[in-house]
Amino acid sequence: MQKNALHILLADDDEDDRLFFKDAFEEVKVQTKVEFAFDGMQLMEYLTQPDAKLPDILFLDLNMPKKTGKECLAEIKQNERLKNIIIAIYSTSSSEQDIEDTFVQGANIYIKKPSDFNDLKKIINEVLTVNWHYQTSGLNRDNFLLRL
Amino acid sequence: MKWIPKFNSSNSLRVIFVIAIFILLFLSSIAYKHNRDLNESSKLLMHNYEINIQLERLMSAIKDAETGQRGYIITRNSRFLSPYLFSRDKVNTSFIALRKLTADNPKQQQNLQRLFKLIILRFASFENCLKYSEPATYDKRKLDNHMFGGRILMENIRFQVDEMNDIEKKYLQKRLKIYDQETSLGPVFSISLFLAAMTFILLAYRQISKDIVRLKIYNRRLLISSGLMAESEKIGKFSTWQWDLETDKIIYSDNQFRLLGYEPGAFVPTKETFLEFVHADDKAMIEKSMEGIVNHKSLPFVYYKIVRPDHQIRYLKSTGKLLVDRNGSKILLGINFDITDEHLLNIELQERNSELEKSNKELASFNHVASHDLQEPLRKIQTFISRVSDADKAVMSESGKNYISKIEISAKRMRVLIDDLLLFSRTNTTKKEFIKSSLTELFENAQLELNEAIEEKKAVIITTKLPKLHVIPYQIEQLFINLIGNSLKYSQNDIAPKIVIECDKIHSTLYPELLDQSVKKFYKITFSDNGMGFDPQFKETIFILFQRLHSKTEYPGTGIGLAICKKIVDNHKGYIIADSTPNKGSVFTIFLPE
Repeated sequence: MQKNALHILLADDDEDDRLFFKDAFEEVKVQTKVEFAFDGMQLMEYLTQPDAKLPDILFLDLNMPKKTGKECLAEIKQNERLKNIIIAIYSTSSSEQDIEDTFVQGANIYIKKPSDFNDLKKIINEVLTVNWHYQTSGLNRDNFLLRL
Repeated sequence: MKWIPKFNSSNSLRVIFVIAIFILLFLSSIAYKHNRDLNESSKLLMHNYEINIQLERLMSAIKDAETGQRGYIITRNSRFLSPYLFSRDKVNTSFIALRKLTADNPKQQQNLQRLFKLIILRFASFENCLKYSEPATYDKRKLDNHMFGGRILMENIRFQVDEMNDIEKKYLQKRLKIYDQETSLGPVFSISLFLAAMTFILLAYRQISKDIVRLKIYNRRLLISSGLMAESEKIGKFSTWQWDLETDKIIYSDNQFRLLGYEPGAFVPTKETFLEFVHADDKAMIEKSMEGIVNHKSLPFVYYKIVRPDHQIRYLKSTGKLLVDRNGSKILLGINFDITDEHLLNIELQERNSELEKSNKELASFNHVASHDLQEPLRKIQTFISRVSDADKAVMSESGKNYISKIEISAKRMRVLIDDLLLFSRTNTTKKEFIKSSLTELFENAQLELNEAIEEKKAVIITTKLPKLHVIPYQIEQLFINLIGNSLKYSQNDIAPKIVIECDKIHSTLYPELLDQSVKKFYKITFSDNGMGFDPQFKETIFILFQRLHSKTEYPGTGIGLAICKKIVDNHKGYIIADSTPNKGSVFTIFLPE
């Protein structure tokens, strides 16, 4: 594990999705270190540890037991230390309401879980190569939802 | 209150009566004065006459004395002397009477004084005549002198009396003349005045009888309308009450008693009576609003319950208004509506409505959740398949590869179904925000969305200018996408699709059976294509959810697209119809209210 590897954190309760995610990252050429939280509660416990190593990008599933993705998002954005983490929503839902809500709450990008492994790889590539400084400063509604 | 006639004649009647009374009063005062003057003049006449008589008496007494004396001097018989002796007394009596009669006239008094002196001289002359005719003292010369002197005196006396009579007569004439001047009101004038008064009274009488006829007519109309009112109160289940604020008297209409569960006129209503009927729950509120009536002079609608004597609960709605009539008296008019039936119906309706809303919500959320939750395993199936095909296809048997590809196709179809279902449920449940939008713009967006398919099929789309309307923009865009998409999908194999869009503003009366006639104008937008068309007998069923006219292997589809179109048009209170000639083309027509 290299020191300059990108630190990725995925919060998702679905084991299969975590597996797909892990496999996809292994096939991506960028050096990354991928870690997982199994639900919202665990995610927040991890992040709020004082000495926690904060991820470069947090992939956040919306529909999780104990604490939903939206609740986590709200808590993160209220926390001085955490609020600058880049957050990619990673959800099955493509409902307008969910997209609108998370956009307003300050998520950086919205990814609808693809139904093709190759699409997943493309998406991950896309997300990793985004210039986040540019993306965060020019946040707008139109490119919030990631389209391939 | 148009029907209340104006009886202005009552005022003119009053004027006529006052004039007539004044004329009569004037006439009678003139008559009274006339009468008094007549009385005065007759008194004056009597006075004159009396003076006249007394003067004549005076004269005759002196004449008697003269005659008696002469008889005595000639015969020397003392019997002739008695009238002479009495005459003195008679003269005195007359004199006193005259003095009284002329007391108010100083000139006559002077005359009387002069007369009196002459009479005294006359009597002195009598004495002297007697003295010188006596045989003892007879002196012919002196007797002659005195006799002659008596004669002269006598003429003076007569002269004086005549003068006094003249004065009286003149005075009388003067007075009579004055009276005549004063009461110079001629009989013709009096009679014409009287006739005028009579005419006035007759006019008044005519007016009164005319008014009575009119009153009778209006009275009958009033009776009819009050009868109608009572009947309509009964039918319409409402009642009225009047509250005279000045006299504090309250009148209930017949139906008011019935609403309260009594026979008409069963009791005399007071301010407090009504409160006794009001249900305990509403008593305080009604009491307050009753106070409010007096203060605000009006009563907004109040809704409350009353309890009838048989413990039946009725729901009432009441309102009131202050009326000030022409005489300035303030009357509060109130109307009570018995809304029990409507109220109960309303409650039932509300319950049903909330039930419906609940089940609708349940359905929507079921639909939404089902679609979402169905997506998850499907997505995994698809992802797993994609992984399989990547890694292991090479080492798989032909049949295995075939199965995998079949699974892939089925999964894809399942995805389309779920996506469409989701779209359908979303057209139903998302909030409907109507924004004034250019339909031309929305149409261009839809065209952009379908660009790929349009180019692939080499389709020609001929559009027209579309109006700006208050719509839910993304739904109308979806509608256009579905309609054009439909035409593209069901095109004829060897002909490039041609879609013509036309727009017209039409009057709803043009389609009396289809359109809501309370909305006057609609925009009619038609989508005509040259596609394969369909059997017109299905022109209604194609809008029903999951109805398909073709097998799914021929044309991929879920049977949701047109159902979504119908839903969207319904959301806009519009209409969609379809017609077609097989192998020639189809026409989809949408009507959107202006």
